[in-house]
Amino acid sequence: MAKALQEITSASSAEYFSKNLQQVGFSSYTKALLTTIKEAVDNALDACEEAGILPEVSVVVERLGEAAAKGADKIRVKVEDNGPGLSVDDVVKVFGEYLASSKFGRGRCTRGQQGIGISAVTTWAQLTNARGVVVITKTAKMRQAVQCLVEVDIKHNKGVLKDKKTVEWDRPNGLSCEFVIDARIQLQGEGGVLVYLNGTSLVNPHLTLRYKILDQEWVEMTRVSEELPLIPPATEPHPHTMKLGEFMAHSHLFGRVKVGAWLKKGFSRISDGVLNELAPHGVKKNILEKSVDAATEDDFKNVFSALQKVKLMAPSTKSVLAIGEESLAKSIQRVGAVDFFSVVSRKPTICDFKPVLVETAVARLSDRGEKGEEETVSLLRFANRVPLQFDKAACAMTKAVQSVNWRTYGLNQPKESLPNGPYIIAISVVSPFIKFKNASKETVDASDELVEEIRRAMIQAGQRLSKHIRREEKEADLEMKRRHIEQFGPILVDGCCRIVKAGKGRREKALEGLAKLLGREAHLAEKELKEAVEHSEKALAELQEKTGILPSSEDTEVGATRRVTRRIMEPEQLSLTGMEQPKKAAKKKKR
Amino acid sequence: MTKRIDIKNLSVDMCERLLRDLERAKRPVLEATKCTLDNSLYNPKVGYLTPGDKKVQTELNVSSVQKMSRAIFILEILLRNLDVGATNTKREIYYIAKGEIKHNAALKPLDFADQNESDEIIDFICEMLECYREDVNCFANDRGGQTYSQQLVVHETMPDGTKAIIDLSRLGTAPFQPKNRPQDLKLRAKKKIDFCVIVESEGTANTLVNSGFTKRHSCILLGAQGVPSNAVRGWTKLIQDQLDVPCYFFGDLDAYTMQNIFRTLKAGSAGSLIRNSDFSAPEVRFLGVLPEDIKKYDLPDYAVKENDASESRALKKARDALNNDPFFKDKRNKGVADILKWLIVHKRRCEQQAYFSVNPRDPLMPEKIILDKIKNKNFV
Ligand SMILES: Nc1ncnc2c1ncn2[C@@H]1O[C@H](COP(=O)(O)OP(=O)(O)OP(=O)(O)O)[C@@H](O)[C@H]1O
Ligand SMILES: [Mg+2]
Repeated sequence: MAKALQEITSASSAEYFSKNLQQVGFSSYTKALLTTIKEAVDNALDACEEAGILPEVSVVVERLGEAAAKGADKIRVKVEDNGPGLSVDDVVKVFGEYLASSKFGRGRCTRGQQGIGISAVTTWAQLTNARGVVVITKTAKMRQAVQCLVEVDIKHNKGVLKDKKTVEWDRPNGLSCEFVIDARIQLQGEGGVLVYLNGTSLVNPHLTLRYKILDQEWVEMTRVSEELPLIPPATEPHPHTMKLGEFMAHSHLFGRVKVGAWLKKGFSRISDGVLNELAPHGVKKNILEKSVDAATEDDFKNVFSALQKVKLMAPSTKSVLAIGEESLAKSIQRVGAVDFFSVVSRKPTICDFKPVLVETAVARLSDRGEKGEEETVSLLRFANRVPLQFDKAACAMTKAVQSVNWRTYGLNQPKESLPNGPYIIAISVVSPFIKFKNASKETVDASDELVEEIRRAMIQAGQRLSKHIRREEKEADLEMKRRHIEQFGPILVDGCCRIVKAGKGRREKALEGLAKLLGREAHLAEKELKEAVEHSEKALAELQEKTGILPSSEDTEVGATRRVTRRIMEPEQLSLTGMEQPKKAAKKKKR
Repeated sequence: MTKRIDIKNLSVDMCERLLRDLERAKRPVLEATKCTLDNSLYNPKVGYLTPGDKKVQTELNVSSVQKMSRAIFILEILLRNLDVGATNTKREIYYIAKGEIKHNAALKPLDFADQNESDEIIDFICEMLECYREDVNCFANDRGGQTYSQQLVVHETMPDGTKAIIDLSRLGTAPFQPKNRPQDLKLRAKKKIDFCVIVESEGTANTLVNSGFTKRHSCILLGAQGVPSNAVRGWTKLIQDQLDVPCYFFGDLDAYTMQNIFRTLKAGSAGSLIRNSDFSAPEVRFLGVLPEDIKKYDLPDYAVKENDASESRALKKARDALNNDPFFKDKRNKGVADILKWLIVHKRRCEQQAYFSVNPRDPLMPEKIILDKIKNKNFV
């Protein structure tokens, strides 16, 4: 860790970012709160995983009063973790300087990528409430925890340390940061804090998350997996994924090396063999021998265009991180009471020359009631395990879901839209090189290849899900049939009897006959239901085999356990009682 | 005089069959004549579309039991109406049904969410009993059929037995309008009536009367108001049968008018196969606009807009009709079929009002042309 931090670089960009905070997640008060929580939680998770610690994170959001600005509240946000902590010097850099990151430019599936996030939050706190961030930190080496205030010196892009003191803290190592910001609290929907927190726990099964939002009670979501995700080694970008500008910028990360050496070191799938192949495409040997500092724009152009013409091996898919079907299966049940679900973890693959892994969990929530049927499903999007909460329309994941015909799996779906119903569709795209549509990292670029890969995952999940939906339809069908027999049989027979002036005897006999007739149909429906139950049970068995768990918990009554035990009437037993009841009412009718 | 259907007996029969099947645990199946074009026959001697032997069946099962019990429930209401001679509109029946359900908790499952649901049941009953809605005393709004004549006298016997005599020449500018079930009326001519013209446009019928058409000629003039209602169809049939006067239809030259308006008036429709005998006037002739009139009178006409959904649909239907509609296929109706063919080939249309362009300063020009056409047998 310490070594990594030595590599933290900084550039004089504080002024630029402080004037353009809307670009990095502060374009509205609602978004400001979400961004603040998100940056701090992402960092905590990254730090824990890097240090091999099972993360325990707590989040407190408290309203202090009205803000000076219209339409905003003064809000305190505090995020604590049990990660490795930071030295005080590093705290100052991380929270007080822009572009100070240990992850910069590396092809890893980490949440943070740029070193902008948390310093921007400090700036926002400073701009709206004239105070930076209060940090408590303790590394394993430090004897006591240290508390301090860090502010951004915007002019010089320097962190400023204030009020440093040692404090008692309840943990051997960790970091806590507290901001007071102007913001607005939204709990549900796009930009909802709870949506973010639930989503984060969904794709991080190894996370124990505690939170207290406003006056609500503490909520604890305990980890469902004791395994840290295996963070694959970093991968270098593939030359075919880059634009010329990126290509040139990439050259600055490797010091004063020769162009040839830079190409081999800085990219995946470039070997001496490949370098030799560049000559026929017009790259002179001496360019490869030049130092990257001495190379001109024309040189870069020359090499770049030659590289695009050379056939290169596709990048390795070893660098992507998987949540796994088992963990997803467990995790999906943390988001609420679930009837049934399906999970799909695709094999890592290459889309647009970048390694990608798509995973999905689709679950039906049991507590949404009738109304849930008409609402659009909640689509939860994740890029490198970070929930994406804005601008869903143009996102690759949204497009992929819309392109699937969900009706074949038993869901309602308006034309070219997301399906309807009380479902959660969670999609996780993990890749060391995720391409976002914009700087605020809310929309994954919808390339054809990526959309197709996600679409395949959705189709698999839909097929698995449909087994359970079919079974429910059959249950409902049988129920409808039974109800119809009981409700309408007597009315029909009584009506006929009145019209032909038939007596009691005929009525009884006709009712008996009707019960027999319709009972036979109900019996058929029962048989169909039995078959559907078998299918769905088989699907569940497969799920159990694969993931080791079944969708059930005490209060949710999930999956196959639900309704199976319902009494199945034999056709002979069907009776049309309730026929006597209309008598009194019939008198009234004569009125 | 046409026979009245005995709804009461038919209903008892139907329910009796239902009950008997049920008592024997046999699945009841209700059968009704299939009222579609592919089950329509046309015999030029009969003159209107009659049903073939195809049937539609509704069997009682868990899915249809709701519809059937609703039908029996509404049927009881209708039978009660027939008993006392009361009538209702569909909307009123909807509310009466809701009222019954409100006062009887056991009927709750039958409840109708909206009028469409109860309308559907009324139509279903009529199909099963093979009768018209009017036969179960359920009336729609009367539409069209406003009639003018200086010679016509109508004798009406009311349900309670009282009689009325209506002399149309005494009504001033007001027309006589027949009800949806005009079969009980008796017609008489004070003086020999020479002809009857049914004008497609209500407004144009009015214009002709205002300019003195019915004063100058011993005739009957009536407005159809688009697709003829049961009232217009039954009424024209009465005029044709009881007074024995030649009837002419005067309307637009287009595919829609030929198929939906004129064919229905003359030979009934596929949808009403079982009742066409009382609701068609096979002797009606098509007076115009005829294709040759366009040249003869230099009438302004129009190209059929192929991108207009309803116009192109009518043309497509016309092609089907020439192949499948027994009315147009019969050689007795070659004249009208030829007009359809002409329309398909030339894709032109011309409106009845175009005759007003022949001499714009002479308001009597259309009248003159109509009489001219009748006199010269210029019709099909
Ligand atoms: N809670 C924490 N515990 C330990 N180390 C941390 C913590 N928060 C941040 N760091 C360190 O500080 C660095 C900078 O974090 P910062 O959020 O500024 O950038 P980032 O996470 O790399 O990128 P991004 O701008 O995309 O968030 C991280 O790379 C990490 O090494
Ligand atoms: Mg970060």
